[in-house]
Amino acid sequence: MPLRKPSSPSTSVPRVNLNVTSDPANLAPVRQSFEQFAIECGFDARAVGDIGLCINEAMANVTRHAYHGATDRPIEVAAEYANGALRITLRDWGTGENPAARLPAGHDPARPGGLGLICMRSLMDQVIYEPQPDGMRLTLIKKRAAG
Amino acid sequence: MSDIQTSSALIPTARREGDSIVLCVRGEIDLHNSPEVRTELLGMLAKNQPKKFVLNLALVPYMDSSAVAVLVEARQKINKWGGKIYLTDLQPRVKGLLEIARLGTIFVLCKDEADALSK
Repeated sequence: MPLRKPSSPSTSVPRVNLNVTSDPANLAPVRQSFEQFAIECGFDARAVGDIGLCINEAMANVTRHAYHGATDRPIEVAAEYANGALRITLRDWGTGENPAARLPAGHDPARPGGLGLICMRSLMDQVIYEPQPDGMRLTLIKKRAAG
Repeated sequence: MSDIQTSSALIPTARREGDSIVLCVRGEIDLHNSPEVRTELLGMLAKNQPKKFVLNLALVPYMDSSAVAVLVEARQKINKWGGKIYLTDLQPRVKGLLEIARLGTIFVLCKDEADALSK
């Protein structure tokens, strides 16, 4: 698996940063890395699962849509935890198309498609797509439950 | 009851019981391996045309939307001859995803295989 973990800068803010290719074989190891990070940040089991699923869905969307199925393109996934919230960013250098624009109005469970974005919107506190001159940056924010 | 040969480690066992097929799925299913599950499930449906297609998900701790899409496609196929898909032994993360996808409205969700076969 072409997975690189750059050394973390010296800072008190916990963070992790992975650079991988768009190969779906990377989905599970990246998901598991960020789930572990979320555990270390104090998220409960349910929230950890939500975070892992949303990173999986976001990466899969990049491969399928931004890169039209190409498995050798770059994806940068980063997360940092501060002020009780996990801020995850995914950067790609694909089409720059906003997946939200493709989502049909209303989810029909009998038809596949769009579920990844629905998961992100349901399970994260914020989902922000920011088109870049050369691709897209997605930010997912998950607040840690008090207690 | 008779065993059905499978060609994927993700579907370790399958058997025919009357007009039903009962199979186990094993492993975390995501975009990397869901195409393999799709090939196996759709092939089994086309070959056997069961009335009941019972998927035991006890050994599936995780699945993503690509796996859900496979289930939905399998449902579209079995609907053609009036069959139904039964999902059993849902693990917490899988159950959570199916709830978000509202799949409880189009699949029969069961406690276990016996429950599915008795319905």
